Amino acid sequence: MASSCSQALRHHVCKSIFFLLLLLILFIFSEEIVIPKKKTWSKEAVLQALASTVKRDPTASDYRFQDDPYLTPKTSSEFKLFSLSQESGRNAAKYFINTYPKYFQKDYAQPHIPCLMPDTLEAQIEEVSEAALIERIGMRKVKAAVDLYDQLLQAGTSVSLDVTNQLLDLICFYGDHDPAQENVPEQRNEETEDVQDEPQAKKGRAAKASDLLKATWKEKNNAERIFALLSEPNKHSYSALIRGMVKYGAYSKAFSTYTDLLNSRLKADMHMFNALITAAPEVKEKYNEKWELIVDLLKQMAEQKVRPNLLTLNAVLKALRRCGTVGKSQAFPVISEMKALSIDLSLASYTHLLAIFYKPGAPIQGQTDILQEVMNEVSGKSFTPQDPDDAQFFITAMRICLDTKDMEQAYRVHELLGVGENWRLLGNDFQQNIYYARFFSLLCMMENIDVMLKWYRDLVPSVYYPSSNVMRDLLQALDTDNRLDLIPQIWKDIKQLGHANRQNLVEELLTLMAREKHNQEVQESFAECALDIKKIYDTGDRGKVLLNWTAGSLSDLISVLLAAHRRQDAWDMLKLFKTHNRVPSEELLNKFLMCVKEGGEVNQAVELVQISAGFCLPGTPKLIQRVQQEFELTEQKMLSDLEIQSFNSE
Amino acid sequence: MYRRLLININQVRNRLIHTHNTRLTLPSTKCKERESFAPVTWAPCTARPLGTSSISFSENKESSTSLSEDKGKTPEETEVNAEVNTDGQRNTEMNEGTEISNATLTSQLETEPVVKPEDRKQVETTKSGKESLLELLGAMKVEVTTVRKIRPSKTPRMSERPDQEPMESTHSMFQRAAAEGSQQHGTLNPALVAAVSAAASTLPNRHQAESELLKQLRKHEAIPDTQRRADIGHIISDMKVGKRPNGRSNVRPTSQIRFDDDGKGYTQDRGITSELDGVRRRKSPFTSKRLNLFAAAAEQDALSDLGPTLWDIDLVNQIVQATNQMPRNGFEEMIQWTKEGRLWQYPINNEAGLEEEASVPFHEHVFLEKHLDESFPQQGPVRHFMELVITGLAKNHHLTVQQKKEHIDWFRDYFRQKEDVLKEAEAYLN
Repeated sequence: MASSCSQALRHHVCKSIFFLLLLLILFIFSEEIVIPKKKTWSKEAVLQALASTVKRDPTASDYRFQDDPYLTPKTSSEFKLFSLSQESGRNAAKYFINTYPKYFQKDYAQPHIPCLMPDTLEAQIEEVSEAALIERIGMRKVKAAVDLYDQLLQAGTSVSLDVTNQLLDLICFYGDHDPAQENVPEQRNEETEDVQDEPQAKKGRAAKASDLLKATWKEKNNAERIFALLSEPNKHSYSALIRGMVKYGAYSKAFSTYTDLLNSRLKADMHMFNALITAAPEVKEKYNEKWELIVDLLKQMAEQKVRPNLLTLNAVLKALRRCGTVGKSQAFPVISEMKALSIDLSLASYTHLLAIFYKPGAPIQGQTDILQEVMNEVSGKSFTPQDPDDAQFFITAMRICLDTKDMEQAYRVHELLGVGENWRLLGNDFQQNIYYARFFSLLCMMENIDVMLKWYRDLVPSVYYPSSNVMRDLLQALDTDNRLDLIPQIWKDIKQLGHANRQNLVEELLTLMAREKHNQEVQESFAECALDIKKIYDTGDRGKVLLNWTAGSLSDLISVLLAAHRRQDAWDMLKLFKTHNRVPSEELLNKFLMCVKEGGEVNQAVELVQISAGFCLPGTPKLIQRVQQEFELTEQKMLSDLEIQSFNSE
Repeated sequence: MYRRLLININQVRNRLIHTHNTRLTLPSTKCKERESFAPVTWAPCTARPLGTSSISFSENKESSTSLSEDKGKTPEETEVNAEVNTDGQRNTEMNEGTEISNATLTSQLETEPVVKPEDRKQVETTKSGKESLLELLGAMKVEVTTVRKIRPSKTPRMSERPDQEPMESTHSMFQRAAAEGSQQHGTLNPALVAAVSAAASTLPNRHQAESELLKQLRKHEAIPDTQRRADIGHIISDMKVGKRPNGRSNVRPTSQIRFDDDGKGYTQDRGITSELDGVRRRKSPFTSKRLNLFAAAAEQDALSDLGPTLWDIDLVNQIVQATNQMPRNGFEEMIQWTKEGRLWQYPINNEAGLEEEASVPFHEHVFLEKHLDESFPQQGPVRHFMELVITGLAKNHHLTVQQKKEHIDWFRDYFRQKEDVLKEAEAYLN
């Protein structure tokens, strides 16, 4: 047993040694093995690969709401409320951390995480020195930095040109005002107002917009004063000044500063030219003068050997938007020029191009090709954000599709949105809403109902909460394609989207349901839907009446109920005419009488006549006649009643 | 297609069986006039019947007559009508492959046993047959004149509505409408008349049948004629959009009427400029001539910068503000956290965040005896103590080498301070 075992072992060992030898020989005689270099992955690579596998779930709400199912928004106002409160909660936390940094000094994390630690908002260096100035510039404290600079000059210490230029940058950038600090309590009121005006705009944006409105370039402000103090201002100083002037609306001053620069035999830089090109349409009146000025600036750029970049191109195109017909003729040469300089266009360039050719509100005259050309250029490309105007492309393109009713291009635009990281360029929630509203209205208008409903299920409500107008478009599309049987479903959505209190939408819905006869099944579902609508009318919100009964809506509702043979419900509804001081139409009463006749309810017929007489309808005698003919009125008293009623009504 | 055709034929056959008593009703969809809203691109839905009705109708008649001639004496008028009807349905669906479908039709009809018994009861059948023929004709005309909605043929609900047809251009539609308007003024299509007489010839009293048939036809012909006029009115009032949604051809036909639907008036046809457009369109405007202001290889100015300025930072900030930075799923949120430095990086690395330690070799951490050299006694309790200290430090992974050195240095200072005391206690040997 043991010997056989050891024998087997030996055999095994022999075999493996032989195998190893064979491998060695093979290794020696085969060609050299190249060991691949170690690849260093970026730290997000794994996550990016994983993220690319996740597709959008049309049944789920936005990711930021997925933590708390209770707070899943169902209407657009809820969406605004929840997303803003989430954001403001973060801001509040950050505010407390930054205001009381001494309580948040404990650093648990290892390795250290700087973004979780409080920011230092107070200047640390107290003495008057250049270092203190640099610190204040870094903290963007405009007033403090200017004061310190003055103190330094008074003390006789000279400040280096670089630091002075940085100071100039700071002053010009903020237009000689202290920047609006985010998360400062005093600002809250203002911000909430902004939020109400344009709820989806981010806070920084709103603040900036208000800054721009408030701040203008003042004569002899600190920037100009400090600039005048410089013995030898360099290119950077001029650049800061010109950019500041353009940013705060002192356009002609910017051009005169540029002339000063040329007189002192300095060369301009690219940023300066970009700013000046932006300012060009402001200083000239006529279209061709504007364009000549721009061309002149570009020529000077070429002379001074300044290489334009994408922002230059975009500035030129943006200026051309205000050059009318000149813009149309010059836009493409500009783009070719930039392509020749191997500058890749960004979506902002295409946005400006589209805006040049399609003025909002202007009649579309055979310009549809431009959009097509643009789409041919951009289709399938993934763009990275390079210009703040990049985010305007999708809503602009979709607006043009809507104006030209071009479904094909709209699909291409939407397809482009799905490529790569392009979805980031759709912009913030507000812009997303505009984009999807345009896309969806176009679908309602142009597509057949099945395709449209497919999109509807896909987009609503995971990315888009339609407004009541868009829901009306949807109803009209249902009407056009003869799919009114879907109305009860749509009504559920309308209720969930919070449009159940829109009077005209609900009335339109009722009219559509009442207009035609459908088969029994559909009529049943309509009747259910109608009773549901009635509940909305009845309940109201916290004692407040949401909807008011009109004669039209009441009679529509009753006809829907009658068509489904719900006489009792309809009878109850008929009484509402009286309580809400509305007058039913004769047509409705006739319809009702037909229905009553089917049921053979004599009493109800008589009561109906009485109701009619109560409203003093001119058709009452006819109604009486019909009742007398079509019903067997057993009791003579009733007949006499009728006579009296008719007598009264006459 | 053929399967549906056969189904149709079967339906017609079944109907023929019951046609004695019941009024035959063909499926017809209503079309309502929409005053407010006309979202369909072309308004062909209301106009289609006048485009196709008589043409396809005459074709039907011709094919039916040829069929009846082929088959000689055998076919009954009911069968002929069945063919007419099926053909009519087929034509509304598809206008090609007529021979094949005809062949299948005839085979289907030849093998049809149901109508055979009617042969024997001649008198009764002629009466009822004529009635059914009239009814069929009436039903057929009704179907022709009713206005149907059109939707693109790609709809998945195709099977539910067999009476669909691809869109046709308004251009041809108008042409046909105009042609018919002149042609069908009170007179019937000769092909139709021929078909009627052929059908009537199979009946015993052919003259009476023929005149009745023609009368019936005229009656129906008169109605659509008036309806057609009304339809044209509706077309023009309802037709709004003047753009071909798909298949934009290179040159638009100049005679095509284009309407604008925003109430901004008619868009003008481009006329001569359309030719210029054609020239221009051949090459993309993106390849047009350039301004020629810059030399292509202009060298860049040396960047004299000290890093990003405030303006650059602001530009980046603006771009970030303008774009959507919200994560769409958990992984994207993790990417965001990784960028902020809040998340452990992938691929997982134990030494993440310990970059300054990466250059320190392992033995520096572990072999710490070299730090105990001259300043400590070579033996005795202090030495013993310090050896324990460095053993502990060697095993401590929380401290950097620098911190370990500082730790040892602290003891060195301490023992130096206490040197007197230690010497007194004879613990400090050296």
